[in-house]
Amino acid sequence: MGFLSGSASFVRFSVEGELPENALDFIADRVIAFSFRDIDDTFDEYSIGWVSVLNMFDSQFKYASYAAGDYITLTLRVDERKVSPAILKKFVAKEEERVKQEKQVPKLGRSLKVEIKERVRTELMRKAIPVPTTYELCWSLSDSTLTFFTTNKKAHTVLEDFFQESFNLMLRQQIPYVVGETLLNEEQAARLAMINPEVLV
Amino acid sequence: MDLVDLIAEKRFVGQEFLTWLWFKSEQRGGSVELPGVGDIIVVFEKHMLLEYGEGETNEKCICSGLQSELQEARTGLLMGKKLEQARIQLVQGDYEYNFTLSGALMEFRNVKLPKTAGTEQDDSNNPEEAEGMILERIFLFEELVRIVNELLRIFLETRTSEGWRDELDKIRQWIHGPSESTGA
Repeated sequence: MGFLSGSASFVRFSVEGELPENALDFIADRVIAFSFRDIDDTFDEYSIGWVSVLNMFDSQFKYASYAAGDYITLTLRVDERKVSPAILKKFVAKEEERVKQEKQVPKLGRSLKVEIKERVRTELMRKAIPVPTTYELCWSLSDSTLTFFTTNKKAHTVLEDFFQESFNLMLRQQIPYVVGETLLNEEQAARLAMINPEVLV
Repeated sequence: MDLVDLIAEKRFVGQEFLTWLWFKSEQRGGSVELPGVGDIIVVFEKHMLLEYGEGETNEKCICSGLQSELQEARTGLLMGKKLEQARIQLVQGDYEYNFTLSGALMEFRNVKLPKTAGTEQDDSNNPEEAEGMILERIFLFEELVRIVNELLRIFLETRTSEGWRDELDKIRQWIHGPSESTGA
């Protein structure tokens, strides 16, 4: 959060690889092709896709609302059905007890237990409401850089994979050394590669 | 080199940069000269995280305090620690930014942008005004990154030049200086 309001946390990536000649058309196609699909009315466990930065329910981007000047602004939305381990444990125990009573046996076999757990998990998963998470990004086409508004490392990996899938472009995180290589001239960059940690005291 | 290896092996570059920036800001009472721009204000405040060593010998020390002299952090420097994270106030012209910068991965955290008319209003209902607001915020974020990159460039140019030895002497004097002179 934070791209549009309040305080923001972000990291920078460089975008590596070539966009086709008709870049904007290509991006328009890909954004729609990889836009977010709602799973509220299905039983899918996971859904990921692009939505508008202004409205997480807008995945159609009428009038190319992801474009702002030379920038592409998108929100990566991930919806996931989750069942908390404590709830799962409770309902599995309950169901095991019921089956024991029904079959009039003191103990259940291993395979039956596995089957019960899987069945209960599926049932609970279907009832679970998908939890949405959103991460905003701002992609500068002229600089080939991307600002991603979270410092969550797991989200970085999700973005790198999904961005590559969507646009066939690689993301490379801009750590100081990598930024340094682009800021310095060739001779300085060669020396930068050679430096070792300095003792400052 | 793989990025994962680079992150581990070149971790020190960002930490030395932050430590150097702290020195630079104190050298002239909070102003740092940006070539072609003039003086900007860089103040280290409230919160710092220092780090020493890698892997199992890694040691971290968090210091915070409003208006404090950050004596603990200074002692940390004396013990050979480097700055890994710091809360920084940066002022260029009319723009004032507050943000936490982490050295190793160059993460910008809790960035407070300068207050401007455009960013203060909620115009998200009108598409055209929304685009204007988005562009303004993008500009402010990019400006912050540009200034930080410019500071990084100055540091790396010195760090890779013959002049680094002199700069290093000054940094060492600064690290040893304040606590000795105040008799703490």
